[in-house]
Amino acid sequence: MRFHGRGGHGIKTASRIVGTAAFLAGYEVQDSPIYGAERRGAPVTAFTRIASSAILERGVITQPDLIICGDETLLESPASGVLNGVEQAAALFINTRNLEAIRAQGKLHVRMVALDITQRTSDRIGKASALSVGLGAAAARLSGLISCEQLGEGVRTELEELGLDAPMIEKNLLLAQEVYAELETVTVEPRKFSATAVIHKMGYDHVLLGTPSILAPGNAEARQTGAWRVERPEIDYDSCTRCGLCFVHCPDGAIALDEQGYPVIDYDHCKGCLICLEQCPRHSIRSKKEVRSW
Amino acid sequence: MKVPREFYKGPKDIPHEEELSPGAPLCAGCGGLMTLRLMHKVLGENVVIVNAAGCMTLMATYPYSPIRSSWLYTTMGSVAAGAQGIRDALDIRRAKGKLSEQDEMKVLVLAGDGSTYDMGLSATSAAIHRRLDFWYLCYDNEAYGNTGFQMSSASPFASRTTTSPIGQQEPEGTFQEKKDMFELWRAQKPPYMATVSSHEVVDLAEKVKRSMAIKGPKLFLALAVCPTGWGFDPRMGDELAHLAVKTGIWPLKEAVDGVVRHTLIPSRFLPVEEYLRPQLRFRHLFEPAPHTEAMQAIQQKVDRYWEQVRKDEPAASPALNRGTSGT
Ligand SMILES: Cc1ncc(C[n+]2csc(CCOP(=O)(O)OP(=O)(O)O)c2C)c(N)n1
Ligand code: SF4
Ligand code: SF4
Ligand code: SF4
Ligand SMILES: [Mg+2]
Repeated sequence: MRFHGRGGHGIKTASRIVGTAAFLAGYEVQDSPIYGAERRGAPVTAFTRIASSAILERGVITQPDLIICGDETLLESPASGVLNGVEQAAALFINTRNLEAIRAQGKLHVRMVALDITQRTSDRIGKASALSVGLGAAAARLSGLISCEQLGEGVRTELEELGLDAPMIEKNLLLAQEVYAELETVTVEPRKFSATAVIHKMGYDHVLLGTPSILAPGNAEARQTGAWRVERPEIDYDSCTRCGLCFVHCPDGAIALDEQGYPVIDYDHCKGCLICLEQCPRHSIRSKKEVRSW
Repeated sequence: MKVPREFYKGPKDIPHEEELSPGAPLCAGCGGLMTLRLMHKVLGENVVIVNAAGCMTLMATYPYSPIRSSWLYTTMGSVAAGAQGIRDALDIRRAKGKLSEQDEMKVLVLAGDGSTYDMGLSATSAAIHRRLDFWYLCYDNEAYGNTGFQMSSASPFASRTTTSPIGQQEPEGTFQEKKDMFELWRAQKPPYMATVSSHEVVDLAEKVKRSMAIKGPKLFLALAVCPTGWGFDPRMGDELAHLAVKTGIWPLKEAVDGVVRHTLIPSRFLPVEEYLRPQLRFRHLFEPAPHTEAMQAIQQKVDRYWEQVRKDEPAASPALNRGTSGT
């Protein structure tokens, strides 16, 4: 199975929870994440292989049986590769409350299963971004290989490893049970894989190809880090005294001052850290749950 | 106690121009980015950043960069040598008349604690010895952040890192003491060096501005709050930086030719607990049972530090005498 989400969602942990639960259930297991040179908010993929005999395959999974997508906005981002191999997948699980809208687009020809994991996580844990347990539970249930108790063991093992305290782990266990109970197993047809070894001859390229130069200064502005946001800061201009503290303290320089000295948030780039909110002496900045970030 | 302000009366006076574009791929709430942004504002746009591999390297991941000035990437151990090369090249261009005075560039090393405290220590020492005219910003997130938060010699006693986990043998996690980088650098009496905090923006800006009148090595150590590695909600980042100062854990000071003065001393010190408690990397000091011994050791070290300051800088004493420590 292959997991997709954004850095900070707990995608790697989701794949580990399923892996550990399956391992405790007596299977051979392999799990691993892959991410680029980016941080919280950037697309992250993780893989879990589960088998009853030794797993000799390595590397990325291009033909998953199950795809677990933690963030529906990734469906529209080809670079994140959520849909790679979707044709042969038994199911695509999407963390969303908008399944009908996604279906209505008619682009995806695969069995789709959906549950609003974000809402359930937010209700149980008070944090909308820590999706690992909900996604892990969904994957465990869909796979049909892991019992609810084994899932619980996987959750406990992984969260203890992360150093979470006991009350937090209990909340997560309840969340896992809730998600597990709400979904049904999908049938995964066994597939035969065959591969032929091919020897690729490597040539030499000019050394400059390996030392790229960026010749457009400040072009990171073209990257919309606003899509990372889980919570959205909003300024109440009636109470703002133009003290400028939010502007000074924004790590990303995503707040500018207008001609009258009022702060203006650049939502294309604000990552939603909410430091501005905490720093505002007048409490003029509030946060709202972000629905669609850009 | 605050030393008198020379250039910036309040946060509003800090330059409004941004030298970095938004869109950097660093974590939301990254204290290292915040520190660089502020320092860059004061230094102005004509800067060549020489960066040692670390989290900040992500800023210039092809094909995007938030840097409007220039940037050179080096290995972790050789960043100060890289700065020497750039400075020499600029000087040669100046001498040949190919670089006008207004296009003159400042060379700024940007390095993590892994590079600064561990791998690059000797190259930096050599650059200080050669009196290289450069700025050095160490954003200290107290571990090897980019590769998954392994322990460095900047990791504080009793913090958990991925290579100093909590175990039966090592119930504190990191049992070593954090290296005193300030004193190591100071032994060479560089013309200017300072510690800074991303929360104390005016103190930071003043120090950078002061350093600009000085030729030779100008070294900055910044405590860089790191939500990802330290384990706290990013929104708390600035408050945590503030707590580091208010508990006395991160003293704000500068040294000119090796002579130290503290630039901001809290009128009352908070117990170190207040700083430690919100961070996952110190959770084991509180749960399942309080680790009183380790906590006391941390408090005592802080108390001893300020006791010494009281002796060394009597002028700052009134503020210190008013202070109460947490024990
Ligand atoms: C000589 C060398 N060893 C290891 C690495 C791999 N590496 C890249 S970044 C990094 C962590 C650097 O830690 P630090 O200097 O504290 O910066 P941070 O990542 O915390 O920002 C490491 C170990 C390297 N680039 N060079
Ligand atoms: S939430 Fe963070 S990134 Fe967004 S404007 Fe506020 S301080 Fe800047
Ligand atoms: S910190 Fe608050 S009061 Fe000050 S400028 Fe920002 S929104 Fe206005
Ligand atoms: S891991 Fe820490 S230092 Fe590195 S980018 Fe994230 S917040 Fe910044
Ligand atoms: Mg570091």
